[in-house]
Amino acid sequence: MSVKRLIWAATALAGGLAFTAPAMAQAQNSLTIVREVDSDRYDPHRSTARAASEVLFMLADTLVSLDHDMTSIKPGIAESWTVSPDGKVYTFKLRQDVKFCDGKAMTAEDVVYSIKRWIDPATRSPVAWRAGPVEDIVAKDAYTVEYRLKAPFSELLYQLTQSFAVVIDKANVDALGADFGVRGFNGTGPYCWVDWRPRNDMRIRRHDAYRWGPPIYENRGPAHIQEIVWRIVPEENTRLAAVLTGQSQATQYVPYSGMAQIRANRNLRIVENQAAFWTYFIGFKVDKAGVDEEAVRRAIVMAVDQEAISRDINFGETEPAYSYIHQAATDWNKAIDQRLIRTNVTEANRILDAAGWVRGADGFRSKNGVRLSPLAYGFTGSTWQKLMETVQGDLRKIGVDLRIQLFDATVAWGKLATQEFDMFGMSFPYITAGDALNLYFRSTNAPTPNRMNWKNADTDRWLQTGMTAVSDAERAQNYGQVLEQVHEAAVWIPLYHEPMKVAATSRLAPFKAHNIYGCGFYKGLDLRFTR
Amino acid sequence: MGVHLIHRAVLSIPVLFGVLLLGFLLLQLVPGDVAQVIAGPQATPEVVAQIRKDLGLDRSLVVQFFIYITRVLQGDLGYSMINNTPVIHELAEAIGPTAELMLACLIWSVPVGIALGTIAAVYRGHALDRIIIAISVFGVSMPVFFIGLMLIMYVGYHWELLPFLGRAGPIWTLDGLAHLALPSLTLGLIFIGPVARMTRTAALEVMNADYVRTARAKGLAEHTVIIRHVLRNALIPVVTLIGLQAGYLLGGAVVTETIFSWPGVGRLAVGAILARDLPLAQGSILILAVSFIVINLIVDVLYGILDPRVGKR
Repeated sequence: MSVKRLIWAATALAGGLAFTAPAMAQAQNSLTIVREVDSDRYDPHRSTARAASEVLFMLADTLVSLDHDMTSIKPGIAESWTVSPDGKVYTFKLRQDVKFCDGKAMTAEDVVYSIKRWIDPATRSPVAWRAGPVEDIVAKDAYTVEYRLKAPFSELLYQLTQSFAVVIDKANVDALGADFGVRGFNGTGPYCWVDWRPRNDMRIRRHDAYRWGPPIYENRGPAHIQEIVWRIVPEENTRLAAVLTGQSQATQYVPYSGMAQIRANRNLRIVENQAAFWTYFIGFKVDKAGVDEEAVRRAIVMAVDQEAISRDINFGETEPAYSYIHQAATDWNKAIDQRLIRTNVTEANRILDAAGWVRGADGFRSKNGVRLSPLAYGFTGSTWQKLMETVQGDLRKIGVDLRIQLFDATVAWGKLATQEFDMFGMSFPYITAGDALNLYFRSTNAPTPNRMNWKNADTDRWLQTGMTAVSDAERAQNYGQVLEQVHEAAVWIPLYHEPMKVAATSRLAPFKAHNIYGCGFYKGLDLRFTR
Repeated sequence: MGVHLIHRAVLSIPVLFGVLLLGFLLLQLVPGDVAQVIAGPQATPEVVAQIRKDLGLDRSLVVQFFIYITRVLQGDLGYSMINNTPVIHELAEAIGPTAELMLACLIWSVPVGIALGTIAAVYRGHALDRIIIAISVFGVSMPVFFIGLMLIMYVGYHWELLPFLGRAGPIWTLDGLAHLALPSLTLGLIFIGPVARMTRTAALEVMNADYVRTARAKGLAEHTVIIRHVLRNALIPVVTLIGLQAGYLLGGAVVTETIFSWPGVGRLAVGAILARDLPLAQGSILILAVSFIVINLIVDVLYGILDPRVGKR
């Protein structure tokens, strides 16, 4: 073959491939969602990854649902419920038309089985505590479930909206054994399991009989879209390009750097939910030399420029945080709005001077021979590296020498359970004040997740009272006191709240973004192609 | 020839054992804890310890390796720790796409590389030669991820000519071929450089040989001389190079597969190592090593065809 002919052949091949471009346009009834990571499995009791919850919300249902405002509890497969005056017994009346994907009718027995499996020690669910102090769960009749608690648990309904509380099918779990949530899953959700290829894609198909969607959706079922493909694309620029070229029609995983480009594109839009309950913060170990002084912690928090972090690192796409939980979250204490620590480097320097921390020749402060040089642990990856470096720069301005050590996510959790560090970086999803506070500030939760070693009798008492409160007012009041106390003590440096931003093609009808456990699509019932 | 091949195959058994041992030890060095991955961030230390025990991670390294080797010898590569699927099943799923990618890359880049190298040799010292050398140097020195991202940016995004998201189907479907185009182009572009350079060098050496002069003296047309006499002998070192480069190509495939979400062994290996999924990572490494050995065997066979003296040794 002569060189000339070779070149012709190559040109022809390239041309031929170019003609296939129109073939890339998808059939209008399939939606591809690209995301960064996959779950290890899709077993609601063994998977704590957001990646698992995203799909489980579509494959299965919960007793109650959470509205788009992230605070209102709405019916799910329970059409109504009552709570006993002492707050210990919840009685759920189930809908009678709910069916699993395999056509079997769902009854109270299935609900009882699902929740009992969740809290069974043999299941070893890392999130069993979310079900509350259960005494027993019984099926009073085919459509009535009685949820009995040892003590009132004011978070219960919120926790029951989570993907860990979905109803599963015992026969399916028994049949699949260790392959449950790996090779199959029988749920009652708007979509049914088709095929999962780990780290590649998850295919789910519309559940045609579905009519029992939560009232938060215009469409109660069946879903409009025939098939959803959750495709894993680890590279963020590839995800962005996939959205820009229409190979993915919706995703919440586009890098901040690409948001402006998407907004400028007529064929795309960003759907936002401002009720952002995913917060990034750096915590202090309150008993380690240097940062054990409240004045030092206050000065450090004051030195950090949250405004700049959101503007420069996150392209203005996040909300600077001065509070430990979002101010729109249930039970936030509005009384402390005005007392939150704001950026003020001059004042921070004054506080440290007054506290006797003297700058040395190198510009860093020390007192009684102790150098103000806290060690921070965090996760590798561009997010935390940039955050930590920025904070390090901010702290130099007040003579604090921050040392940083970052670990891979698989090691970091173990490292963060030790007492080796003075500060740590973390981000977390939550639904209410109680959800966040009970996790991080209970004495019994040290050394992890209470990595601050915050041990305070008042806090514990208020948390317990709040958790077992029977009225909303009592709960809010107790949690409010904890919020005030820990904000005053400057235990964390809040960095930013990450809002939910879904990038979607304009061919999709308008829909609302959700934010439950950081999942933007929730049940996806209102997703519909208009053209 | 057959004896020679069998001899080579037997020799590769200790190599494979070494790969298994080294892979096993290297994975111990990778920071991380699979039990922690499975348990998730909010798990108590007790839960993590229990999961570790379930997976047999609490036993000594020697015991773990011994159990592993015994299983492999029985053809059992174990189960993925993360999602409990048989490793052999996962590998079987992934090997096809990788083979497809390799084939699609070699099928165009090797001929193009050889053609460019030959042209450069024929026009030695001319501007054309300089241009081809420049292209080769560019190809050799460009990181594969950069080429991939550039192609996605221009061909995939700006001009919207080709898809770049995963695999759509087998190579013989139009859709499958379209999805394969960019990854194979990316991988091929890093391969052209070395092949072209090697071909040029080898062809230049051969061009001055006596038998080439004889061929010309017989009055053969120039292109016959180049293709029949020069190339046939110049290709021997090129084939060697291709064999040696195959390892590099597998490495490039890891990156390419990641960028293009191509569901191959390379991507599987990366995912498994990142997730600390030991059996799966081991399996992927084993498959990559076996591929390497197989490619080298193929190179040996090609040697025999190109240079009949090899088989007679």
